[in-house]
Amino acid sequence: MASEERTQEILKGLQQAVIEFDEDKTRELAQAAIDEGVDPFLATLEGLAEGMILVGDLYNKKEYFVSELLLCADALYAGLDLLKPAIVASGRISEAKGSIVLGVVEGDVHDIGKNLIKMMFDVAGWTVYDLGKDVPLEKFVEEQLRTDSDIVGLSALMTTSMISMPEIVQKLKEKNPRVRIMLGGAPITPETVEKYGADGYAKDAGTAVDEAIKLIKMLKTEEKAK
Amino acid sequence: MNLKERVLNRLQGKEVDQTPVGCTTTYGVVDFMKKCGYERPLADTDPQAMTELAIAGHTYGGFEWVKAMGWDIAALSEALGCELGTPRIDRQYYINKFPYAEGVENIVFPSDFLSRGRFPAYREHIKLLKERVGDRLVIFGETEGAFTCAANLVGPEQFIKWAIKKPDQVAKTLEVTQQAAIAAANFAFDYGVDFFVFAEPTSGPALLNPRIYEKLVLPVEKEIVSQIKGPVVLHVCGDTDPIIEFMCQTGAAGISIEEKADLKRAVEIAHGYGVKVFGNVATATTIFSGTPEEVYREAITALENGTDFLCPGCGIAPGSPLENIVQMKKARDDFFK
Repeated sequence: MASEERTQEILKGLQQAVIEFDEDKTRELAQAAIDEGVDPFLATLEGLAEGMILVGDLYNKKEYFVSELLLCADALYAGLDLLKPAIVASGRISEAKGSIVLGVVEGDVHDIGKNLIKMMFDVAGWTVYDLGKDVPLEKFVEEQLRTDSDIVGLSALMTTSMISMPEIVQKLKEKNPRVRIMLGGAPITPETVEKYGADGYAKDAGTAVDEAIKLIKMLKTEEKAK
Repeated sequence: MNLKERVLNRLQGKEVDQTPVGCTTTYGVVDFMKKCGYERPLADTDPQAMTELAIAGHTYGGFEWVKAMGWDIAALSEALGCELGTPRIDRQYYINKFPYAEGVENIVFPSDFLSRGRFPAYREHIKLLKERVGDRLVIFGETEGAFTCAANLVGPEQFIKWAIKKPDQVAKTLEVTQQAAIAAANFAFDYGVDFFVFAEPTSGPALLNPRIYEKLVLPVEKEIVSQIKGPVVLHVCGDTDPIIEFMCQTGAAGISIEEKADLKRAVEIAHGYGVKVFGNVATATTIFSGTPEEVYREAITALENGTDFLCPGCGIAPGSPLENIVQMKKARDDFFK
């Protein structure tokens, strides 16, 4: 077991490695955490995820932009790829946060935003089913039914592709009224979400997970009230 | 003052009777296609259909200048090897595959560049457009800019990461796309366009750190502008507030910005450099999905904020209603009554 001091050193190091998008360092420290008996769940949450929260602050202060976020995400995944199997192997069942089907709608190949959203859910401990980009309508419905995900997240950058969203929302709701649907992307506003009959909106990756949790809580409250 | 004089005078900083109204990015609008009888995807490749749709913007949309070279921003990328997705009446060409995703070791500027892709069709089209309206309307050409083209060749996500971690690879790619941009614009001027627009969505602060814009993009844009025979307008999407100064330092005659940017501030900065500003009625939230009244109000606001050319902030979405589009001219006419 690592001492408290060493544990803190590893956690701070992981945070810093994510902030400085140093993939090698993240990998090295994640491995050190595993080898030295630091709880991999703690290393993920207090190390990698905490680092990403600090990255989010830098983004909000306009010191970092998407270009840096993508590199931070690479560093985070370098660590997560080692820590995730260790969490499973430790037998520790993390508190189930929820599950999400994610994809960029058909006709749209712009997936940078979607990939950042995916990372935020991954690090928050959600189960993510990533359908990629240019995803046909039916695929979202099939995948939601197959996985029974709590949330479906639809992304579009183009006005030409966002117009297919209402049909997807309608089909998803027809098949499973319990599912909650979030929309995102440059042309999407809270008004679009309402107009298209979806449930949630996240203006950026930083707020997406909180919004998803809010939607699930609302659903549970509604169901209890019934 | 005829429309051509109005637009050219404004671009050159001379007196005008009123602010010109039009669109300085793409306007492949379905309602225009239905009115003029020439639809995409034919209008993406056929010189005559492209010409008729260009003129439809003036005839039905009230635009006071017209666009040459089609309805997407993929021409350079296509000619340099990108595979394009299939267009439809309501969907423009898009980049489907990135030919240099594995690396740019073998990238070169092809000597037959202007015989590739749609450039032969553009040649016929610009000539035709010039014959039809060249005496009375300003014509502009447009392609994607060098940075956006380079990102299309490599893949945007990888390319903006390279911009931080592998600047030498970025420079190597930009060397090629810089030549492509210069060749395309000078080709367009040779056949008679009056100004040329480079659309640079991938270089904006929505993706790229402005410090990297200054370091990597600005010198390339400067070089490109210095080698082009006529006036250049630089369009960047999103909230461009952090790079307005840099956009003005490229040597461009004009900058085109979206509603997410502060137009009033942009005009103040740009005028200090002798640069004109095009913008900035919101395309997605207003022209595409808003009401005619909202478009009218935003157009008036843009005029009040001092826009030099009243335009949409970005390319007009294909499904935008004609009733919304014509509000821009109505607002301009009322504003100058």
